[in-house]
Amino acid sequence: MRLDAKIPAGPLAQKWDRHRFETKLVNPANRRKYSILVVGTGLAGASASASLAELGYDVKTFCIHDSPRRAHSIAAQGGINAAKNYPNDGDSIWRLFYDTVKGGDFRAREANVYRLAQVSNAIIDQCTAQGVPFAREYGGLLANRSFGGAQLSRTFYARGQTGQQLLLGAYSAMMRQAAAGRVHLFPRREMLDLVVVNGQARGIVARNLLTGEIERHAGHAVLLCTGGYGNVYFLSTNAKACNVTATYRAYKRGAFFANPCFTQIHPTCIPVHGTYQSKLTLMSESLRNDGRVWVPKTPGDKRAPTEIPEAERDYFLERKYPSFGNLVPRDVASRNAKEQCDQGKGVGDTGLAVYLDFADAIQRDGKATIAKKYGNLFQMYEKITGDDPYRTPMMIYPAVHYTMGGLWVDYNLMSTVPGLFVLGEANFSDHGANRLGASALMQGLADGYFVIPATIGGYLAGTRFEAVTTGDAGFADAERQVAEQTRRLLSIGGKRTVDDFHRQLGLTMWDHCGMSRTNAGLERARAVIRELRAEFWRDVRVPGSAADLNQSLEKAGRVADFMEFAELMVLDALARQESCGGHFNEAFQTEENEARRDDQNFCHVAAWEFTGEGRDPNLHKEPLSFENVQLTQRSYK
Amino acid sequence: MNKTINLTLKIWRQKDRSDKGRFETTPARDISTDMSFLEMLDVVNERLTLEGREPIAFEHDCREGICGSCGTMVNGRAHGPLKGTSLCQLHMRHFKDGDTLTIEPWRARAFPVIKDLVVDRSAYDRIIQAGGYVSVNTGSAPEANTLPVPPELAEKAMDAAACIGCGACVAACPNASAMLFVSAKISQLALLPQGRPEADRRALAMVRAMDACGFGNCSNHRECENACPKEISIANIARLNREFLHAGFISHET
Amino acid sequence: MNWLTAALGSSVGKKLMMALTGLAFIGFLAAHLAGNLLMIAGREAFNGYAERLQSLGPILQLFRAGLIGFALVHILTGLYLFLQNRKARPVRYEKDTSAGGRTISSRTMPYTGLLILAFVVFHLFHFTWTDKGARTIFDLVAAAFNQPWAVLLYAAAMIVVALHVRHGFWSAFQSVGASHPKTMPAVMALSWTAGGLVAFGFGLLPFFMLIRY
Ligand SMILES: Cc1cc2nc3c(=O)[nH]c(=O)nc-3n(C[C@H](O)[C@H](O)[C@H](O)COP(=O)(O)OP(=O)(O)OC[C@H]3O[C@@H](n4cnc5c(N)ncnc54)[C@H](O)[C@@H]3O)c2cc1C
Ligand code: HEM
Ligand code: SF4
Ligand code: FES
Repeated sequence: MRLDAKIPAGPLAQKWDRHRFETKLVNPANRRKYSILVVGTGLAGASASASLAELGYDVKTFCIHDSPRRAHSIAAQGGINAAKNYPNDGDSIWRLFYDTVKGGDFRAREANVYRLAQVSNAIIDQCTAQGVPFAREYGGLLANRSFGGAQLSRTFYARGQTGQQLLLGAYSAMMRQAAAGRVHLFPRREMLDLVVVNGQARGIVARNLLTGEIERHAGHAVLLCTGGYGNVYFLSTNAKACNVTATYRAYKRGAFFANPCFTQIHPTCIPVHGTYQSKLTLMSESLRNDGRVWVPKTPGDKRAPTEIPEAERDYFLERKYPSFGNLVPRDVASRNAKEQCDQGKGVGDTGLAVYLDFADAIQRDGKATIAKKYGNLFQMYEKITGDDPYRTPMMIYPAVHYTMGGLWVDYNLMSTVPGLFVLGEANFSDHGANRLGASALMQGLADGYFVIPATIGGYLAGTRFEAVTTGDAGFADAERQVAEQTRRLLSIGGKRTVDDFHRQLGLTMWDHCGMSRTNAGLERARAVIRELRAEFWRDVRVPGSAADLNQSLEKAGRVADFMEFAELMVLDALARQESCGGHFNEAFQTEENEARRDDQNFCHVAAWEFTGEGRDPNLHKEPLSFENVQLTQRSYK
Repeated sequence: MNKTINLTLKIWRQKDRSDKGRFETTPARDISTDMSFLEMLDVVNERLTLEGREPIAFEHDCREGICGSCGTMVNGRAHGPLKGTSLCQLHMRHFKDGDTLTIEPWRARAFPVIKDLVVDRSAYDRIIQAGGYVSVNTGSAPEANTLPVPPELAEKAMDAAACIGCGACVAACPNASAMLFVSAKISQLALLPQGRPEADRRALAMVRAMDACGFGNCSNHRECENACPKEISIANIARLNREFLHAGFISHET
Repeated sequence: MNWLTAALGSSVGKKLMMALTGLAFIGFLAAHLAGNLLMIAGREAFNGYAERLQSLGPILQLFRAGLIGFALVHILTGLYLFLQNRKARPVRYEKDTSAGGRTISSRTMPYTGLLILAFVVFHLFHFTWTDKGARTIFDLVAAAFNQPWAVLLYAAAMIVVALHVRHGFWSAFQSVGASHPKTMPAVMALSWTAGGLVAFGFGLLPFFMLIRY
């Protein structure tokens, strides 16, 4: 199968207009006859549900949470980018496009990224009109800040709760359509399989998490907006319910999985402090604007940070990257912190942390100024760690944060299964090998508000649909498989809990398929994962029954998928014999320890095709061609 | 640092909606004071699982105080004893070795218990559905900067918008009233010019929906603002009252 | 008039009725207190005031009718709210600790309200619906407060009223949407003052009468 990204012809800046013009439209009177299943209510799912319902489609929306408002998008802190150029500092659609492509280390599609930059401004307009309380200047106009090491201010924000406010905006728009009867909400449902009939995605099978009932839902198209899979590492900044189940099961039904090994490690998280730890907390990247990162010069120095004199500290980012200093991109900052800890210079009880010190900033600007900027972050840090960052430096360590990989989609956001669309973090599309700060929110909303409403019509209008009912064999078959898996999980009655397995899997992935990878480590990880998976199915203990709310069972199903998916990540990492962005293979680095790409051989999207249980997947390559930007080596010296 | 404590949990167990439920006493041993409250429950659940018993069902997701999933009563306080802190952000260093903790679900007619500590908060969604939005279709928004908003207003709107929909205000209110939650949304949208055109309709519809869900009435006890993890102020309730009275008695909305 | 019943019948509307009638009572209490304080000025002053009040005739009747109407609204709505609020939490908490909001005043509103009702009925029988014979109102009061039990009862009742007013006053401002973070401290202070005036103004008069006459 040749992967056709369906990128429209013509100059970059005109592709999207032209594509919309050439795409068939669905007659408004016919739209309500099309039933669209939207799985997920994060930024992508909520915005898509609202927008499609406004157009007149019949929308059914599913989510795991008790309320759609609780999707993981709610946790995003920093902000959302747009090319408004309000500060007049030289921004433009082109520059946002360029920065995103470069930030992604040239592993994303030009056309997609350009479109993203193009619609970014309309997102801000839309959210503002919904009543999202963005920060404002004294004159009442919208404020911007610089974020994630960008050289200009293009990030819109609502305190440290931008994701929350954007999600509540999208949620409210969706609830308005629910009130109008055009969105039918199915909360507390977990999609457990995709139903493909005659090669088209025509439905899903979902478990009602309260009653345990397996429900069948049929439609003309399925939209997966189910977020990222960072929780494969067990410890990540993702919310606990984030999972790969929906996308992985779609993969097993024929959707290709692209670049699964591309994960982002965020440098400023609160370090792990115990084996019981359940998740990691992100401290906003903005802290690096004023905080200085350092470790003691001598390995094993156990003195309190305030007792270590200036001369015995190593401000390693400032030393190695004099021009960007503490503001180098996420992947660079993360790898350097790990490197210091690997040399035994890490601090804290575990030795897996570096200092982020505000003493100089407080001395320079005064405590009040620092409190105004970061007060709530400092408070959060103190709540969690019991340390006061005004007096003693913060400790931070990198943590898994975002997954650039996802189901492969074409320019229309359609996967390799016709009628299966994938939006938001769940798809692989726009961030290449590394995502820039404040661009995931932008992408989720771009997909939901502006891209899918335009592209889905083309599919629906151009496709012949046979009548499909939930009584069809495809549904019965999917339901049987789901019920069978549930039965199996509950019947093992072994000696280890689901979390116990998940932790071990996570640790393996973190050690070998995390911030920095080696071929030997990856090989070892593959073997460990296989063994662990076998043990899981032999020895896991899942209490309770299938017929009511059973949180252990929910977790078990998700971990079962992570167990398989982890191997796919490792395979992908092994197949990509280069370093790029978040994928850092130690064999491929420059003298300065930066990622060394191999554009000759790996300037492509790696899309994996499921070939059957226990068999290796097939690798398909979608070559990436860069006609508008020049491939360069990133340098932050 | 890294102290461990032992606790006794007196915890509500209820199989399903129809079960009467009862308290069960179980120990929480070797709890590190660095753990969060939910991590403490995780530890207890791991033990219960291995002992062949059913773990305690409780709701959670983000574990950083923003999704609003978590929340139970701890010794009679919604989200536990720490002000402005959701249960997931409460750490065990605030408890002492030997403490007994009474852990109960939110209790309100409008929030029926589903299982153990999990309650049904869909009433909140019904209230938002009734009018907690600005009617603007995708694509029809004007350029964002055409409508300046004084930063003080934007800040106040943001204060109100910070609500995470956790339900602690209802749980803590002696009357199980949802006024703080409703007032937060009504205030956010009433303060911003974008929300003004529908302010009257919204106030009427949301208050009606709230009443229909079976919440109690506000007696101005102020427990809500003291229990709220986001410290939403009752100034918003006063604003809701103003908005409603304007809508009900002066506007043309019916 | 559908809109009116809908608005008044809502939770916020009911609280509006409570607030307006409650504030009216506080107004009445203020006038009542001002009149009663004339007792300190002596028999003539107070009796003169009572006569002038009686001479208002129909206006006084109108006021009475108004007060009774308001009382009915306040009492019936108050009871309805009380029952509704209880129903909103069918299962009580095993442990119920204040987060720092509720006060003795706020917690006891329905009970202090009912006690006030009982007291008012008694009070009316005591001084208004009683056979005065040839005595002036002043003598009647003076005689009544010659008995220590009556003094204590009135004083206790005034503490109850003071509790009700202490929460009721600011609460009414909040209920009609008239409170604001800027004015809140002032309203709170006024609320305490109103409660204090009721307790001390009304509450000390019986002692004054007991000692003086
Ligand atoms: C701590 C943190 C901070 C961040 N800050 C920023 C930031 O400042 N700027 C930025 O641009 N990005 C940020 N990101 C990234 C960004 O938040 C996410 O990438 C984005 O919100 C993902 O949105 P989504 O709609 O794709 O998915 P999600 O918000 O993850 O939503 C997934 C939805 O799918 C549902 N779901 C999942 N599986 C199933 C299933 N099997 N069945 C049914 N439903 C299912 C869930 O219930 C949920 O509703 C941050 C991420 C984290 C973790
Ligand atoms: C001198 C007599 C009285 C005065 C001055 C008075 C005053 C007030 C005021 C100002 C309020 C506040 C309204 C609000 O919160 O908006 C109130 C509330 C209340 N009153 Fe009275 N009241 C009096 C008598 C009574 C009586 C006789 C009852 C009998 C049941 C009563 C029952 C209540 C109740 C239950 C409330 C609380 C309502 C709620 O917040 O849910 N009151 N009162
Ligand atoms: S107002 Fe506060 S307590 Fe109530 S739901 Fe919102 S965040 Fe929770
Ligand atoms: S788990 Fe999200 S707020 Fe506590």
